[in-house]
Amino acid sequence: MDPTVVAQTTGDWAFVLDNAPYLLVGAVLTVVLTVVSMLLGFLVGFPAGIVEVYGGRVSTFLVETVGIVLRGTPIVVILIFMYFVFSTPSLTLGLFDVTVTLSDAFIASVLGLGFRSAAYQSQIFRGALQSVDEGQLEAARSVGMSKLEAIRHVVVPQALRRSIPGFQNEVTIVLKDTSVVFAIGLAELLTRSYDLFVRQTTAVLEVVLFVSAIYFVLTFVTNRGLDFVGSYYEIPGGEQA
Amino acid sequence: MKSNRQSGVSRRTYLKLAGASSVAGLTVTAGCTVDTGGDGENGGGGGDGGDDGSGNDTGTDGGDGGNTEIVPGTAPGFPPFEFKDEQGELVGFDIDLLEAVVEETDYTLADWEEFEFDSLIPALQNDRIDVIAAAMTITEDRQETIAFSDPYYNADQSILVAGGSDFDPQSLDDLAGQTVGAQEGTTGAGVVESELVEPGDVDQSNFRTYGNYVLAVQDLENGNVDALVIDQPVAQTFADQRDVEIAFVYETGERYGFGLRQNESDVQSALNEGLQAVRDSGQYEEIRNEWFGGSGGETSGNESSGNESGNSSNSSAVGE
Repeated sequence: MDPTVVAQTTGDWAFVLDNAPYLLVGAVLTVVLTVVSMLLGFLVGFPAGIVEVYGGRVSTFLVETVGIVLRGTPIVVILIFMYFVFSTPSLTLGLFDVTVTLSDAFIASVLGLGFRSAAYQSQIFRGALQSVDEGQLEAARSVGMSKLEAIRHVVVPQALRRSIPGFQNEVTIVLKDTSVVFAIGLAELLTRSYDLFVRQTTAVLEVVLFVSAIYFVLTFVTNRGLDFVGSYYEIPGGEQA
Repeated sequence: MKSNRQSGVSRRTYLKLAGASSVAGLTVTAGCTVDTGGDGENGGGGGDGGDDGSGNDTGTDGGDGGNTEIVPGTAPGFPPFEFKDEQGELVGFDIDLLEAVVEETDYTLADWEEFEFDSLIPALQNDRIDVIAAAMTITEDRQETIAFSDPYYNADQSILVAGGSDFDPQSLDDLAGQTVGAQEGTTGAGVVESELVEPGDVDQSNFRTYGNYVLAVQDLENGNVDALVIDQPVAQTFADQRDVEIAFVYETGERYGFGLRQNESDVQSALNEGLQAVRDSGQYEEIRNEWFGGSGGETSGNESSGNESGNSSNSSAVGE
């Protein structure tokens, strides 16, 4: 191999490693965005899933309609709507050392990613809830539980177990979709990788590989973590329902 | 909030402080103004806090105490116009120039906001920022939605080919039948579209666009595309760093301006006067030499005498 090429290649890796802290700051933002958005998505999406399965006519219609709109709109459009049209205000949080508009953008990002994830998650939970045999609900009612109690104590625990694979998928999707927040001015992992190879244009491959590795680690850890949760809550010795 | 007393505090620190204070300020003002956003920071200026609603054209250009903040926005990733340096700080020609220009006015510059290039105009229109400094070409289309300052840079397109290749085009005609690439949404892409694709010289399927011109150059080096049309100073950067060379320059006569909201003639005239002052004092030349030093005489057309110069072989149209 041409020695100058080797030198350049190692130089590019050195460049990437030198700038690893810069990328890691972006990775932290990526993780924070993912966690907060997933949390919001769960808090809204889980009840929404329940409503879609067990709700009355009006509530089901409302939840379904909002869900369809959110699932049918590209995430960039949702974010731009949140940030530019609704003009999300900034909130003063003691958590991050961010400036005003970043805070605005952060709120908009979390709302956009979170609500869209809620729309996806509602379907994950709907599927899981519907997979629990209806007879179980009847059985629960017959021993004197109210409908709400029956859902809460009999159906939901089983449905949550079954929703883990779909939920894993959703975490992975949100994790990677956080990249789109650059449209409204938040520089997360992928954007920062662009900053880097714009500065040293020979290092495209190295930067992309490094960033991919970070995404892989994040995805792998999350998925294994959820696998663990799944096996922890498994019914011992029983089939997975 | 902050008065314009800033002695003893470096300007950057002051801006940081002003920015930080407006974080707290915003939570208070958010309730009563619709278009808060970034320019809630106007509250940071002297005495003109409440008039966001009137469209932000506060302060006028009269000298007395109307010390209003302007929130600048850009899209990093266009060296040498705007990019991130080793420390991850936003730097570049546009950054320094706008800071110098605003220094000459009664306004103060707030912290920079960063967006994708395509989000800059929405950000401006929704009052998230007050001025765009992003190597933005003044076009008629854009002038329908936003206003521009006087031009501050001339722009042309370079045609880039792989180093040492046999393909050595001298004019756009030579590109007929070849695979041509450009960065999405740039004026370079516009040139390919209108001069090559529409007349039928280049098949639509042979016109490649890229989200980022670094990737475009990578593709050029890999031999997947025969020529790229990109802005002159950026092309020069690549010719220096990568195994590619500039075949020829296609003069488009574009000009960059700072993007502004329409009907804010106070800001517009202040910036124009500031720009003239920066040219007159020779500061423009200093800044230009700092960022385009390598390309020597090429950029002379952008000198203080102005953009009207015929020597438009200088640079760029990163401008999109």
